[in-house]
Amino acid sequence: MKVTIKSWNAIAQWRWDTGKADQDDADEEDVCGICRVAYEGCCPACKMPGDDCPLIWGECSHVFHMHCLLKWIGTGQSKQQCPMDRRPWVTAERKVAPSNSS
Amino acid sequence: MTTTATPAVLAFVEDKWQEAFSNLNHHQPGISGLMTLSKAWKIAADFLRPRPLSQPRPKYNPVEVKMAFDVLGQTRLLYTVLENFLDDMHQQEYLIKHEVEEYMSKYEETDDPRIIAQLVNRLVEWFNAWHPLAEYDSSSVPDLWLADSQDDAPKSLGHVVTDHFTVAFHTHIYSILPPSFSRGFKVLVASTLPISDDMSDNVKLDQSAWESFFALGLVERYESLIASVCYEHIEGYIRKTCEGKWSEKMLTGMREWMTKKMVPWMCLPYARGAKNSEEAGKMMSGVGSRFDYHVCKVLCDLRTSEIFDMIVDFPDSKPALEDLKECLHRVDQRSNLVSTLRKANKKRLLHPGADTKDILTQYVSIIKCLRVVDPPGVLLYKVADPIRRYLRDRPDTIRCIVADLVGDGENGTSLVDDNDPLVPLVSRDVEDYTDVTWEPEPLDAGPDFRANKPGDIVSTLVSIYESKDLFVKELQVLLAQRLLNVTDGNYEKERRNIEILKVRFGEAALQVCEVMLRDMTDSRRIDQHVQSQKPSLLHPIIISRHFWPTLQTGTFTLPSRLRAVQEEYAREYTAFKPDKKLVWLSHMGTVKIEVELQDRTLEVDVPPVSAAIVELFSERDRWSVDELIAQMGRIDRPSVSKGLLVLVDLGILKEEETDNYRLLEIAEEPSSEPGAVPASRSAISMDELPGAQTAQQQQAEQVRMYWKFIEGMLTNLGLLPLDRIQTMLKFAPGYDRSIEQLGMYMEAARREGLVVAKDGMWRLNR
Ligand SMILES: [Zn+2]
Ligand SMILES: [Zn+2]
Ligand SMILES: [Zn+2]
Repeated sequence: MKVTIKSWNAIAQWRWDTGKADQDDADEEDVCGICRVAYEGCCPACKMPGDDCPLIWGECSHVFHMHCLLKWIGTGQSKQQCPMDRRPWVTAERKVAPSNSS
Repeated sequence: MTTTATPAVLAFVEDKWQEAFSNLNHHQPGISGLMTLSKAWKIAADFLRPRPLSQPRPKYNPVEVKMAFDVLGQTRLLYTVLENFLDDMHQQEYLIKHEVEEYMSKYEETDDPRIIAQLVNRLVEWFNAWHPLAEYDSSSVPDLWLADSQDDAPKSLGHVVTDHFTVAFHTHIYSILPPSFSRGFKVLVASTLPISDDMSDNVKLDQSAWESFFALGLVERYESLIASVCYEHIEGYIRKTCEGKWSEKMLTGMREWMTKKMVPWMCLPYARGAKNSEEAGKMMSGVGSRFDYHVCKVLCDLRTSEIFDMIVDFPDSKPALEDLKECLHRVDQRSNLVSTLRKANKKRLLHPGADTKDILTQYVSIIKCLRVVDPPGVLLYKVADPIRRYLRDRPDTIRCIVADLVGDGENGTSLVDDNDPLVPLVSRDVEDYTDVTWEPEPLDAGPDFRANKPGDIVSTLVSIYESKDLFVKELQVLLAQRLLNVTDGNYEKERRNIEILKVRFGEAALQVCEVMLRDMTDSRRIDQHVQSQKPSLLHPIIISRHFWPTLQTGTFTLPSRLRAVQEEYAREYTAFKPDKKLVWLSHMGTVKIEVELQDRTLEVDVPPVSAAIVELFSERDRWSVDELIAQMGRIDRPSVSKGLLVLVDLGILKEEETDNYRLLEIAEEPSSEPGAVPASRSAISMDELPGAQTAQQQQAEQVRMYWKFIEGMLTNLGLLPLDRIQTMLKFAPGYDRSIEQLGMYMEAARREGLVVAKDGMWRLNR
């Protein structure tokens, strides 16, 4: 018998690459430390997940919805620090989500 | 006694009379000495004497008779003469009695109402013959019964005489008419009814018959019998004319028929002696309204008995419903309508043999129909309650409603038509105090009645359940399925659906669906990009987790060749979207494969599990299920079995012995399962969406169709064990369920209270 694949209609989910060596489909959900919504969900201000509500990666290794973090940084109490570890927030160079640069 | 003679005639007669009288009186003054008292008595008694009809009253001299009565009048003996006459009459009554007995025994033998008519005529003859004023009736002879009064002119006793005679005569005949007379009389009365219902015909009435009835006092005596003839005739006519005729309003026509056909007839008993139509109208007004009530009552009862089928027929039956509304205003039969419709619904609608879709369709029609009949919605509230409770317990109600909302109506009939306003759902629990159209609740509303705002059908259906969340969930599942099924990239229909649903359910509830829709278009764009970079066989739909109904992610190990295709695609994706990666839902989707075997080549769409299994069989042509599971890793046995079954159906594999499969390089005659349809297996991915009916519910649904058979069986045979039911069901067309499926269904039927199980035996719950 010879089997040839002609075409394949598949279904996949997209995930943010949060840098964690994730064990694939272990469904422990990674959530944004600010709004407690999953990364693949969207921040309270957005309606569409994904490219419209991207993530932001900090050098401290914490990851947030970009909109959540910017809002946090904008408040006086933030003192420009990461809300999780209170270190000065520095956005990781390499990992800025491209916004619709297709 | 009425005289109709003109004054000229009267004057002439008066002259003649005076002339004759003065001749007899020898031109003496007064009348004393003209005739002795005893002679006068004899003449008067003889004149009045009741005789057999065969011996008519002998010739008499009117002047002599008049003179005799005058003599008696002057001596104040007229009352005695009357008493004497009544005594005589009593003596002679046996003559009438004999005749009545003769006629009635003939009638009882033959049941021929013509005999009653003859009897009535005969009694009238007797009546006239014995009437003390008969000869003088409508004649111009002067009044015999003139009593002398002291001061004034002499006073006529004519009406006293007539009254006494009539009462005596009537009393006698009623004492001798047997009970069977009323039966015959009823037929006789009915025979005088207008025969033709042709509205253009004029009514021909038998007035003389009614004169006879009046003369004998039959109209008063049999008043209720005559009314019942009337009632029955009206009922018969309305039933004959209106039954099953729902597409036009009938009430007006019935009233017109009453006016044209029945009222002229009814004037005979009810407006006797009316001089003109105005007077007749006055006399008829009380009776008329009683009979109009009857018309409404009969039509109301008829329509009530037909209500279920009228609802099925809606909107064609709208005119009949409007009639019913009008009748209900006149006749208070609302509670009867409610109980009739509830009974019909229970018997014809709310049973396991009925399709949920059909129940919903009828429910929607009931809503529309009862809105016509009773706009405040009290009737609907009372009728709908059991339907709503029943629907709430059906596993597939939400699914049916939602499928309809997204336009999945299989045979084109939709619950919600274009006339239904596209409005946000009405929340039932919020009283709107600003509502200017508020009206007090109708009297029969009952304590839990909430006036249904003229709400839309969708709100009403959704409100079957406590919250709309269930619907939103189901909507999401259904839309997900539909989107995943779109193959031509045209999502316009779904987009339109979502827009409409947003109006009803609110923007927020549909937000999730918006995301799904965008995932679809994004996937297409991404695929176009990937294909342009590096052509692939793979065309994935890339979905946003959290926004789609939970899908199984627990993936299995694909054979390396398939895995390589996935990995290559994922690499290109990440190159395009550097911060994202793909997680494959390998259970889902379809693979089009070409299978080249020794004697044939097949091109088939199969689920990925089957594709993986085929791949393994290309290495080795015998596998056991356990070996396959070991190769595919982290996969459950049912999934493997399902994947195998697809290939068995396609004739690629064969189960040699339990759980051991062999590749069929050379095709074999399909033997065992000719009914299997391979094509239907290719869309298996849909089954895997959770939130869909559980398999158990589906199976119960499928057996439901055979409820009629089961019911018939248990009706005839009483108690049956499950395996007997199964064996007998095999005679039902198309029945192919397993005994387990049947068992689940019977269990469901038991919960619904249709059947009872005891010691492994089933019987109807009656
Ligand atoms: Zn956030
Ligand atoms: Zn956002
Ligand atoms: Zn940090």
